[in-house]
Formats: sequence, C-alpha cells, structure tokens
Amino acid sequence: MRSPLSEAPLAALVAVLAPALAALLLAVLPMVRRRGAPAAWICLASSVASLVSAGLLLAGQLGEAEPMAWTTSWLTLDGQGLGELGVNVDGISASMLVVVTIVALCVQVFSVSYMHDEPPDAYGRYFTYHALFLFSMNLLVLAPDLLQLFAGWELVGVTSYLLIGFYYRKPSAGRAALKAFWITKLADMGFILALAVLFTSTSAFRFDAELSTPLANVVAGLLFFAVVGKSAQFPLHIWLPDAMEGPTPVSALLHAATMVAAGVFLVVRADPIFAHAPDTREVMLVVGSLTALFAAGLATVQTDIKKVLAYSTCSQLGYMVAALGAGSTLGGYFHLTTHAFFKALLFLSAGSVIHAVHSNELADMGGLRKRMPLTATAFIVGSLALAGIPGTAGFFSKDLVLAALEGRMGWLPYVALMTTAFLTAFYMGRVVLVAFFGEARGKADHAHESGALMLGPLAVLAVLSLGVGYFGAHFAEVTATGEYHLHFGMTPAIASGLALGGFALAYAVFGGGRDASGVGVLALLDGAARSALVDRTYEALYRHGMLNAAAAIGWFDRYVMDGLVNLSGWLTLVAARSLRRLQSGFAPDYVFAVVLGALALAAWGYLS
Amino acid sequence: MTLTTCLLLASALFSVGVYGLLTRQQLVAVLVSVELMANAANIVLVAFSHFTASPLGQVFTLFALAITVAEVAVGLALALLLYRTHASSRLDAAKEMNG
Repeated sequence: MRSPLSEAPLAALVAVLAPALAALLLAVLPMVRRRGAPAAWICLASSVASLVSAGLLLAGQLGEAEPMAWTTSWLTLDGQGLGELGVNVDGISASMLVVVTIVALCVQVFSVSYMHDEPPDAYGRYFTYHALFLFSMNLLVLAPDLLQLFAGWELVGVTSYLLIGFYYRKPSAGRAALKAFWITKLADMGFILALAVLFTSTSAFRFDAELSTPLANVVAGLLFFAVVGKSAQFPLHIWLPDAMEGPTPVSALLHAATMVAAGVFLVVRADPIFAHAPDTREVMLVVGSLTALFAAGLATVQTDIKKVLAYSTCSQLGYMVAALGAGSTLGGYFHLTTHAFFKALLFLSAGSVIHAVHSNELADMGGLRKRMPLTATAFIVGSLALAGIPGTAGFFSKDLVLAALEGRMGWLPYVALMTTAFLTAFYMGRVVLVAFFGEARGKADHAHESGALMLGPLAVLAVLSLGVGYFGAHFAEVTATGEYHLHFGMTPAIASGLALGGFALAYAVFGGGRDASGVGVLALLDGAARSALVDRTYEALYRHGMLNAAAAIGWFDRYVMDGLVNLSGWLTLVAARSLRRLQSGFAPDYVFAVVLGALALAAWGYLS
Repeated sequence: MTLTTCLLLASALFSVGVYGLLTRQQLVAVLVSVELMANAANIVLVAFSHFTASPLGQVFTLFALAITVAEVAVGLALALLLYRTHASSRLDAAKEMNG
C-alpha cells in the first residue's frame, strides 16, 4: 500500500531521518565530534526536529487525519517483497513517538549540563550515541511491520550496550554492558524464531496477521520471550540493575522510559496476534505479576538510589506486562506512557542529586531538601506519581491495570500487584526520607542546587507526571486500544489506601532520616538481595550445567566428530598408497593402456 | 591387387608399429614404430582413393606426410634432450613420474 508522499509521512520521515543524519554526521566527522559542544548542538537540533514532527503527527491523529503508511517493499522477488520498510503513522505509533521524543529531548538537555565535566571527545561520543538511539527508537516505533521493528529493536540494543559501557575504562561498566547485551540477545532469539514462524505461515511480517490459535500461541510466545529480555521481566531481569553503570541520564532514557518499554510496545503493536493467543497471555499475566512483586521487594533494600529506581522499573514493567496479559492493551500502554514520564523524572532528579553529591549511595545523602529544594520537589512529585497517589498520572494508569486484573486467576495477580503498590510507596518513601530529609551526612554537606539546564527538563517532566493522567480518554480514543473509564469502586480506593499506607510505614521506619535497613523483614529481604538469588542461579547453571554440557560436547567433537574426519583422511591415504602403483612413470605402460583402451572400444563397437 | 590386400598390408604394418611401440626401449625405435603406424594409415587412405577413383585421399595423405615430418622433428628433439639429461636415450631411464 503505497500512498503519495503527503504531509504526515513526510513528518514521520523527518522524525526518523533527522536523528539518523545527526548520528551519521557525528560518526563520520570526528573533528566535530571530538570538540564536544557542537556535537551536542547537532544532536539537540535533530531531537527538536523529531519532537516537532512527532507533535504534528499526533495532532493530526487527534484530529481528522487517517492512519497512513508510506512503505516500500524490501528485497522484492517475483513481485513479492520480503518485508515492508517505511513509516506507519497511526494513533499508537504517533503517541509513542511523542513520548519518546519528549523524554529524549528532556534527557539530552539535562545531559548538556550533567555530562559537562567529561572531556570533549567523550562528550561528543555521548551525544552521537544519543542521536543513534533516537533514530533506532523512532525506526522501531514507526515500523510498518515486524521486520523493521526487529531492526529498530536490535539497534536500540546496540545503543544500549554502547551507553551502558560509556565509561569503558571502568571494568564494571564493560561487564554490565556485555551482560545486558548477551541477555537481551539470548531473548532476541525468540524474536527471530517468531519472525521465521510468521513468515513461513503467512509470507509476511504483518502485525495483524490472521493466525490460528495454536500458531498465534507459538508466535506470541516466542515474541514474549524477546519481551522478557528487553523489558527486564523475571527471570531475565538481571541485566537491568547492572545497566545502572551507565550515565544517569542514559538510565532515565533507555533503561526506564523508552527502550525497556519497547517490549511492552511490541505487545501493544502486535495486539491482533496476542489476542488470538490466550495461553501466552496467561503466561504474561503470571510473569508480569511475579516480576512486579519480586522486583518491588528487592527495591526496598537497595542502598544505591539508582538501583532502587532500576528495580522499580522492573516492577512497573511487570505491571504493564500483567495488564497486557489480562487483555487490557489500553491499561498496559497507558501505564507505559505515564511511567515513561514519572520514571524519567525520578531518574533525572536522582541524576541531579548524584551530580551534587558525587555518590549513588543513599548513605551519602540526607537533608538535601534544604540544599536542593527544586530537585527535591521534582523527586517527590515523581515518587507520588509512581506510588499512584490520587490525582497523579500513576494513579490513573495503575487504576486501569488493577481494574483489568479483577477476578483473574483466583485474584492472585490482583493481590500481587496490590502488594506491589504498597511496596512501591514504601520504597519510594524510604528514598525520599533518607535522601531528602533528616540530617545531611558525609558528602551531602556541600551539595548545591543544579543549574537551569538540569532543572528545566525536571519541570517539564514533573508537569507531565502530574497532568498526563487526565488525558486517558483522549489516549484511548487516539490509540484505539480500548474503552477508557475511571473506576470509582473498591480498586482505586484500596490502591490509594495501600499507597498511603506504604508511605506511612516508610515514615514510621525511616522518619527523621534514619536509614534503618536491616530491621525485621527488611533484614531478610536484604539478605535475599545480597545473595543475588537469580544471578547465583544463572551462575550455577552456567558452571554446572553449561560447562559440563560443553565439556561433554567437546569430548564428542574431539573423539567422535574429529575421529570421523581423521578416519576419512586415513582411508584416503591407504587407498592412494595401493592405487599409486598404477603410475609406473614408464611411457610404454601408458601406451599399453591406450592400446588396450582402443581395443576395448573396438570390441565394444563390434559387438553391439 | 585388390583393396583387401592393401588393407591387410596396412593392418600388418600398423600391428608391427604397435608391437614396436610397446616393446622397444630405445626412443628412436619407438619413433620409428610411430612412423610405421602413421604410414599404415596413409596406405589405407591412398588405397581407398585409388579404388574409389577419388583424389581426396591422396591429397589428404600429402598433408599427413607433411605433418608427420613435423612430428618426427619434435620426436627427435625429445630424443636428443632425453639423451642430454639422462645420458641415455632409453625410455626406462626416464621414470621419475612413477608412483
């Protein structure tokens, strides 16, 4: 379906190609990149172009504009393309595009100041990666079919690797980057297999492929495996906390707001496939609820402010996956949107604190409310939204998620996510109280408020974290993912009550800025967190399972496979040794063979 | 003299040539044997030409003779080289290619 290059696809093409151009320029012009500041300006300019285009697209979709696509076939053979390349503009892609570009621009503006102390070449490299990331993400969001989405998916994986390993001289950063890369690549095997199955059965990669239920279960299940990796769901969540080795703005953009949400976005995009896969959805419901609860538990005992937020991200992604598993596409997608804003806000505020305190450890903070009032306000707004206090964006989206879970699977997921809501409020309350209230400790003494370039993005995101929730009805209409209505029932009441209870408990335990980790149940959780249960399991699996299996396979290869190869070589030698006697090197012998051959031919001709 | 006698003569000559080719060790003798075989073919050509009253066979024989001269020249050159490198013109001296 090829439509003329009209206004909407043009804006979409600009949204994709502006960051691509910026990344390309910075990649091939090292003299610009190494000077630092010009690279930042080029990157910011491309992001502004993307944001404006995205805004135009969303405005069009909110108005009368029809969904449209501008695509071209890729690898055409016998008149049939292998897949579609291009841009696909509809309510879902336009809204996601706006979320991505807003958060990306905020993070980049924040980074201009946050990364200021880096040497110019590292500064330029940082913004090159950012431009590359925005291009990849937009490519993913605007993909007209699963094949291009996969290309964008892999590209964001690469940029994630590059940005986690940004401080590549630090061994832990290099290891974390590799870990993230390997684990997501493992999960991406599912994506590739899903593409293969989809193509063999439908000869296309369409999001709305008509599949029978068993086939849809296979494709959706394989896709979900990729989602588990990308969106850091249990048991492949282990890369996300380590990914915090990257610069804090990167954590805000990639590992909280946008890239990890790509998995959820994929499920929203391929909703028609998932709709025919009830079994996969049940698995999603279980995995999502489990992740939400498990990660929230671990978040309560982290001592590093970024790790708290990282586990919180896992937990909130679990909410989204659970909602999608329960069939509430709107709930999952709306929570993605609101979460993108308030989690980016939380990460950037945390970045502002880290920039001032020069430490990630909660123990080094305290009393920052007085020294950094604006940052503290932003962080508290983000925490309220994350906890789902009524009136904030998180309240509305969490309400949709929880309402979708009512009565599912004997209420177990519902109870799990309600408990998570309580824990969420508790761990956010803990961070707020320990970092911003009480007495200043250690390095926090010399902290001072960040500059306007850092506070500006915080203000924008804070406004969005408070306001976006009221646009649920518009959101539902433009994305056409479901009916939106507020639930004035028990669910929001219980959720709000639990959130307030969580804050109250946090105040009771940590009030006055005490860091009381290691008390009661917390001590148990602390032990669990320290033992890094899942990491250890993988290590044991690797050490005892993988290595032994590899040794067995190695033996088989060395003695059986290589034996066969050597046997064939030996047979050839033995055969050759006897056959070489034929070559006497004595000319009359060859003549004899010729004469014999001629005679044989003559005899054959005479007889037949 | 009939065609049959001519063909019998040619066959005999050819057989002598083959026998010489297979049994002689001297390269010069081998060359002579090859010449015998070639001339056996020439006799066949001339004989058919004569008995079918067509000049074509004789013309062809003239060509064959010219080519045989060239072949002998090459053969003798080989014999000379063999003698220089192996101090002998016997074929069993040149057996480096045996397996």
